[in-house]
Amino acid sequence: MRTSGSRLALTAVALLLGFLVVIQLRAQGGGSGLENQSAQELTLVVANLSTRNDQLRQEVADLERQLDARLAEQARGGTSAGAIRSDIERIEAWSGAIGVTGPGVRVTLRGDVPGTAVGDLINELRNAGSEAIAVGGVRVTAGTVVAGLPGELSVENTALPPTLVVEAIGNAATLTGTLARAGGVIAQLQATYDGLSVEVTPIDRLILAASERDLAPREARPKL
Amino acid sequence: MTVHRRRLVSVSSWQVTGFLALLLLGFLIAAQAASQAPRVRYTTQERQPLVETALGLQAQQGALKERIVSLRSQITEAERSSEGSNVLVRQLNAASQAARIAAGLVTLTGPGIVLRLEDSPEQVPADTAPDDYLVSGADLRTVVEELWLAGAEAVAVNDERVVGTTAIVDIGGALLVNSAYLAPPYQVTAIGPTDLYQRLSESASFRDFVNARATRFGIRLSFAEGSDLVVPAFAGSVSLRYARADLSTPAPGG
Repeated sequence: MRTSGSRLALTAVALLLGFLVVIQLRAQGGGSGLENQSAQELTLVVANLSTRNDQLRQEVADLERQLDARLAEQARGGTSAGAIRSDIERIEAWSGAIGVTGPGVRVTLRGDVPGTAVGDLINELRNAGSEAIAVGGVRVTAGTVVAGLPGELSVENTALPPTLVVEAIGNAATLTGTLARAGGVIAQLQATYDGLSVEVTPIDRLILAASERDLAPREARPKL
Repeated sequence: MTVHRRRLVSVSSWQVTGFLALLLLGFLIAAQAASQAPRVRYTTQERQPLVETALGLQAQQGALKERIVSLRSQITEAERSSEGSNVLVRQLNAASQAARIAAGLVTLTGPGIVLRLEDSPEQVPADTAPDDYLVSGADLRTVVEELWLAGAEAVAVNDERVVGTTAIVDIGGALLVNSAYLAPPYQVTAIGPTDLYQRLSESASFRDFVNARATRFGIRLSFAEGSDLVVPAFAGSVSLRYARADLSTPAPGG
């Protein structure tokens, strides 16, 4: 009697144990993370994914056109020298390896902010679709960081002046709208840093110099 | 002494097993409770279609990115096969590959470190902001910036390559990096000099970050070093609609 009772209890405990192990593993597995989002947040996720997927579709269409052109040239027995050259130019303009020109905005910051605040501004400019950015005349690439405490900012080993000018090429209206919206990055920076003034001016033609940073990796090599 | 011994003997094996099982049970219940905080689980009905739509969009995005990577390698292949003995085209192809590597359009491998960031397992005290206990976009940006300053050559967050146009933004309790929706835990992979970890740990601003987030709020931060880590190619748009090459100013060093 005692043995069968204890067996029953042990079985129940083991069952519960197994159940909990599964739940625990699922919770730690993280899954998609979507289960942690509210309906409002999910709506935002869906809107963002949808827009970004459209951009990716556009890129696929561009690449398909490029490939067709290359294959047509190949079939004609010609070379793609001209096409390759303009492709290199576009990629170098995009990465910061060469100078670029185009419309955009000039953001002037007056007041003491740390490097991270300028980083927040750059992040928001990227998020709003900037195609090229420069801080104090220094071109911003993937690895460019504005560092330092207020009053002693530097970028790529160049000291930055007290009045900081950030320039970005892109759709001026979109860039201005994103930066200046209620609760946007400018509002957040001004709420955090006392006496900070931020001015955004649309510019018809900006010229951003090439990066002086060596963009070629030394340790990393292409994975074949 | 005898009494004690008899008592020991009377503890049968099933009791020991039962005790251990209950102990483990208690541990798991505790772990389960801890893992549910500070994130909240929503269970309302209207969420399910939204979750399904989001999952569908994520699957579409995965396919689009694969297509982009595949088309890029097909274009490179077509360019290479047409070079033949043409020296000019061969030189252009080499320059094209170098430009792609510099831009982050090629998967790279090499030595480096992997940092893992996870939400705090701590129970959020009643009078504090729960967001402080979650890994934020600002946390990821700080880590990525610290890695660049320490000499990293290529960085990825989960599978998203960090390039010149990469923004890391908060979206609910998760992140949008490039085009991708990423949920915690986050894994930042960086390829760089063999002393990258040492350089990072010697950075005063990185130590400040660890103190502010890990020590104070319990954000979990772990590291691993590797000799052949992989940082994937950027699988997004490199088209320019507003900017074009400025040929009036020569590039430094060609």
